[in-house]
Amino acid sequence: MRLDAFHVVAAAVALLGAAVTIFDLLPINKFAFFAGYVVLQYVVLATAWNIMGGYMGYVNFGTAGFFAVGAYTSVVLYNLMQAPLIVMIPVAGAVCALLGLGMGYLTLRLRGVFFAIATLALAIVLETLVVNWDYVGGATGAYILRAREIAPFGDYVEFLFFVMLLLAIFAVSAARWIERSKIGRGFAAIRDDEVAAECAGVPTLRLKLIATTVSGFLMGVAGAPFVLYVGFVEPSSAFNLVYAVNSIAMPMIGGATTWAGPLIGALLLGSVQQVATVTISSELNLLIVGVLLVFFVIAAPEGIVGLVRKWRGGGR
Amino acid sequence: MKSFGKKRLFGSLKKSLGAAAAVVGVALASPVQAGDTIKIGFGMALTGGLAGAGKGALIAMQVWAEDVNARGGILGKPVELVYYDDQTNPATVPGIYTKLLDVDEVDFVVSGYGTNLIAPAMPIVMQRGLVFPALFGLAVNEKFKYDNYFQIMPAGPEPMTDWSRGFFSIAMAQDPPPKTIALVGADAEFARNAVKGARETAEKLGLEIVYDESYHPRTADFSPIVNAIQARNPDIVFVGSYPPDSVGMVKAATEVGLKAKLFGGGMVGLQFASIMTALGPKLNGIVNYDFWVPEPTLRFEGVEEFLAKYQTAAEGKGVDPLGYYLQPYAYAYLQVLDQAITAAGSMDHAEIGKHMRDAEFDTVVGKVKFAPNGEWAKTRVLMVQYQGIEDSELATFTKQGTRVVLYPNEWVSGTINYPYAE
Repeated sequence: MRLDAFHVVAAAVALLGAAVTIFDLLPINKFAFFAGYVVLQYVVLATAWNIMGGYMGYVNFGTAGFFAVGAYTSVVLYNLMQAPLIVMIPVAGAVCALLGLGMGYLTLRLRGVFFAIATLALAIVLETLVVNWDYVGGATGAYILRAREIAPFGDYVEFLFFVMLLLAIFAVSAARWIERSKIGRGFAAIRDDEVAAECAGVPTLRLKLIATTVSGFLMGVAGAPFVLYVGFVEPSSAFNLVYAVNSIAMPMIGGATTWAGPLIGALLLGSVQQVATVTISSELNLLIVGVLLVFFVIAAPEGIVGLVRKWRGGGR
Repeated sequence: MKSFGKKRLFGSLKKSLGAAAAVVGVALASPVQAGDTIKIGFGMALTGGLAGAGKGALIAMQVWAEDVNARGGILGKPVELVYYDDQTNPATVPGIYTKLLDVDEVDFVVSGYGTNLIAPAMPIVMQRGLVFPALFGLAVNEKFKYDNYFQIMPAGPEPMTDWSRGFFSIAMAQDPPPKTIALVGADAEFARNAVKGARETAEKLGLEIVYDESYHPRTADFSPIVNAIQARNPDIVFVGSYPPDSVGMVKAATEVGLKAKLFGGGMVGLQFASIMTALGPKLNGIVNYDFWVPEPTLRFEGVEEFLAKYQTAAEGKGVDPLGYYLQPYAYAYLQVLDQAITAAGSMDHAEIGKHMRDAEFDTVVGKVKFAPNGEWAKTRVLMVQYQGIEDSELATFTKQGTRVVLYPNEWVSGTINYPYAE
């Protein structure tokens, strides 16, 4: 793999993250870490959704289900052995990757709206299972008492922010690699015309299973630190439909056919939502996603990336 | 598919990141209002599932702030409420409380409404050693064990079992006492806890549990559930439910003609004016928990003045027009904080926390004393029976005698109509 500007920027962002969390190089308010964590979490979720929804054209409404399974895997690991976050993340990713693979086998004969409904149903089935599973708190929820401080970061939330930053960099890098690889071209072929792709020798089933597995893995790793961030998790918040809505809206706003779309959409919409929560703080909050979505669907169906391309005269 | 030029992409990415940073920067740079005020910060459910109750609580808190400022503030300083909408979403809570403490620089934080929105704030307040008055959380402190947590809902020191203690006390006082019980509840946080406590008490009392089932929170038709209960012919029926299902359950019980001798227990929503007026005479005979009703034994000093102010302020705002359930407690948890700051004579949280642990407070919900775990030292979950309701007018429910207090003994205001089926 050839190193280019992307890798330099990614490394610089990771170093900057380390500088502000470990060495407190910039006088950043703690609120920025809390808000930043949520925004970065959406970068991972939106990127994960985009691998299926944007690259391949299969709309997944079950993001909240994968996210929650990631979160509840952490609860199980905590209850079993007080596992540290470094263990929770890969295990949650693996569990959700398997879940994605299973969902792939079960649903990929479905297309379009039927596939979307099946993924939504999957999230509801998973929520019902968790509600009735007392080991993870069932309907009453589960607590995880996070440490107040952790070396060398100091505040635990700064550590969580840094971890989520690394996960976001990893997710975006993976999405970029996929987009530019043979797999990504296969995804694009499926999105454009699945039957034609199959006839042309594209292994559609295998590619779809890869997409659901990778997408599930990334959603799972995004959910793993959630319980440590909130300190308390219960089914209605972990399976909140807002994760599904945002992870669809963000790539739509940013541009769904490229790795940069969900990144831009998540940074923009996620930041606006965080700011709106502590400024507008009323029902108007809820309008933001809807208004932005309607605007971009009408004015820029290819999102911000599409707008920029148009503005620059059609890319390369 | 066209690829996006690296330089162009990097350029646009830089612009987007810059824009996002600018937006966050605006929030971070909001001027902190300097001034000699006492700032009290909180998140409150102003949208989402708990918005109806959250907005009512906010009005009650604003009435408190006006009252305090009218009498000259606390320690000679006016109070200012700084609040944000938590959207009934626990994930927003950590960010909101950090913003309140680090950007708005509030002097005190109090909780929003409900267990799910209290718990996520706990790690933040604990880390800073702040006093934390909380509004209607159920057993939040069991895991945290934080000594500066003070919860105002009068569930009592053992909230899980204290909640339904009154229901069983009333049942076992009947002649002959009941022998069988049906337990039914929603698959959700409070209902599960309420039914769990009721199950433990029923087992201790030797009652035979003939039905013990939960239902999905989105259940719409309760007739099959009530029919299934009826088929087991229990003497008493304990229900743990949320507002929509409480309505469904009461309607189904009326339609099916439930023959139990005691029916109710932990049904959330039957205390709300809108639901009481919707159900009207169907409520007669139900014995259910409550926290304040307009009975002579509960006319604490200041409560009627508070309710009059609240009811005026609430007009046209789409919130509970009576404000009997949550609102007096939303006023009272700030009264506790007010009295503790005044007694400590400083803003020192350790001093204030010590006073809150040791003292007894006079509030609009009566005398409040906290147990070491931050719950009320003695339970005051009322069991009230709906009696003599003949219409669905709002004014009916403001009258004495429509919700008679049967438990605890020191607050009793009437006698039970038993059995429920008659």
